[in-house]
Amino acid sequence: MRKASAAQRPAADGVATAAVPKMELRGLSKTFTTRNGTIEALAPCDLVIRKGEFVTVVGPSGCGKSTLMMIAAGLEAPTTGEVFVDGAPAGAAGPRRSVVFQKFALFPSETVAQNIEFGLRVAGIAKQEREARLQEQLAMMHLEQFRHAYPHELSGGMQQRVAIARALIVRPEILLMDEPFGALDAQTRSVLQEEVSRLRRVMDYTVLFITHSVEEAVYLGDRVIVMSRRPGRIKREIVVPKDAVWRGGEIESANDHADFNAARREVWELVREEIVRQ
Amino acid sequence: MNSAASHGPRRVAPALLYGTLTLAALLCAWMLATSALGLVDARVLPSPAGVLARAATLIATPFSGATLAGHALASLHRWIIGVACAIAIGIPVGVLLAWLPPVRAAVAPLFELLRFIPPFAWVPIAVLWFGASTTTQALVVFIAAFPACVINAQLGVSQVDPILPRAAKALGAGSLATLLRVVMPVAAPSAFTGVRIAVSNGWMALVGAELIVGKQGLGFLISQGQNNDSVATIFVGIIAIGVLGALIDVVLQRAQARMLPWTPPVAEGL
Repeated sequence: MRKASAAQRPAADGVATAAVPKMELRGLSKTFTTRNGTIEALAPCDLVIRKGEFVTVVGPSGCGKSTLMMIAAGLEAPTTGEVFVDGAPAGAAGPRRSVVFQKFALFPSETVAQNIEFGLRVAGIAKQEREARLQEQLAMMHLEQFRHAYPHELSGGMQQRVAIARALIVRPEILLMDEPFGALDAQTRSVLQEEVSRLRRVMDYTVLFITHSVEEAVYLGDRVIVMSRRPGRIKREIVVPKDAVWRGGEIESANDHADFNAARREVWELVREEIVRQ
Repeated sequence: MNSAASHGPRRVAPALLYGTLTLAALLCAWMLATSALGLVDARVLPSPAGVLARAATLIATPFSGATLAGHALASLHRWIIGVACAIAIGIPVGVLLAWLPPVRAAVAPLFELLRFIPPFAWVPIAVLWFGASTTTQALVVFIAAFPACVINAQLGVSQVDPILPRAAKALGAGSLATLLRVVMPVAAPSAFTGVRIAVSNGWMALVGAELIVGKQGLGFLISQGQNNDSVATIFVGIIAIGVLGALIDVVLQRAQARMLPWTPPVAEGL
């Protein structure tokens, strides 16, 4: 059962599950037109995400991984292809697929509590339930004493906690995270990585997580998608064993496990090829 | 943070002190030139005491139809009507210009043309249409105040980080909710700056218009001072205009600090 190293297989391999996937990205590509001609940001990409799966996407900067996520969120239109949720076209952006952005994207004129509640307010949810769900999020993200603070009064790490709480309070079916810890200092990042790993164990979300950190991709992901450099396409998928020993532990101690290091090295070699190949 | 906070008050104190010193020096020079040394004839430049005495008279007894307070209230009345209309119409127009590109494309050329016509150029036509009435004065104020409201509201909305409406959309907010709850509050400081500019533009245009037409107001008071060869009256009028304008701006700044508590101090200059 337990494998010594992470299994590897080419991306073209289909996923052999009978159930309808939670999310499916089918033939997504994106071409931008600029003054200097057209730029192909994303080559046609196919990706299937099962319910409860934590998929991380890693690739060199500028490979179109953020574009992929914006399209998955419904915030950008693909040039070709379509996004499906539960087998049906996903339609416009909305709280079924909530998003955590690299730059937090908190509403500066609203307090922490107002920011977190935002999705519930626009959905017209009654005050009593809003308050109950807000309390739950504040407690889970350790934000109780910042309830009345404005975003600019908080550190980057605290701001991103607010953004995560704001995305979770709407009870999304899929959580999309676009390099959420990319703008944080190393220590804050480690703590939040562990927090997300812990939340994940508690809540069993379906997550699409974009990152440029190989270590983060392997530590958090059930499956690591490696993307090529621009125009981005899915180069390889690495499946991380479900029972990997570093799960739920500290990211620092993950480095003590040979399996973790092997998987990390494998992913890093794949990313490195893309950076070197100019 | 801490050191910056403790430096704050210490920096304000000298600024206030220097400002007061400048005014005091000016007053001294004025006194020396007039009452103390008598370098300038009182009919050319009255002494501070002379202006003060004239102010007391104008406050107590009507001159050209009203007391000083009466003229000031007449000016404020027209100014408030003009500025209120400029804000009520200008800010929504500016927001729509930034939020809806087709509206911008349709209106921008006309607006660009109109905003280079000075407010006073409209006085003759306003007089022909509305006579020497409050409407005429208020219209001139409106024309002077309107562009600043539009331009700054538009600027504020177009400078909102596009990631914020995206985040709102991803949380299920529609276009109107995004505009009202996310975009407008973020654009508010810029719009408020526009209001402050509009208020002072309107004030200056009003006094100018009152010099040309009207039977009351501070501008009219000045022109009557000229007709009566009373330099002291002119000075009282000028000082009243300056002081009232500065007071209005102070009130607005206070209002801004109260209405927009979240505005980070550093972001205001942007």
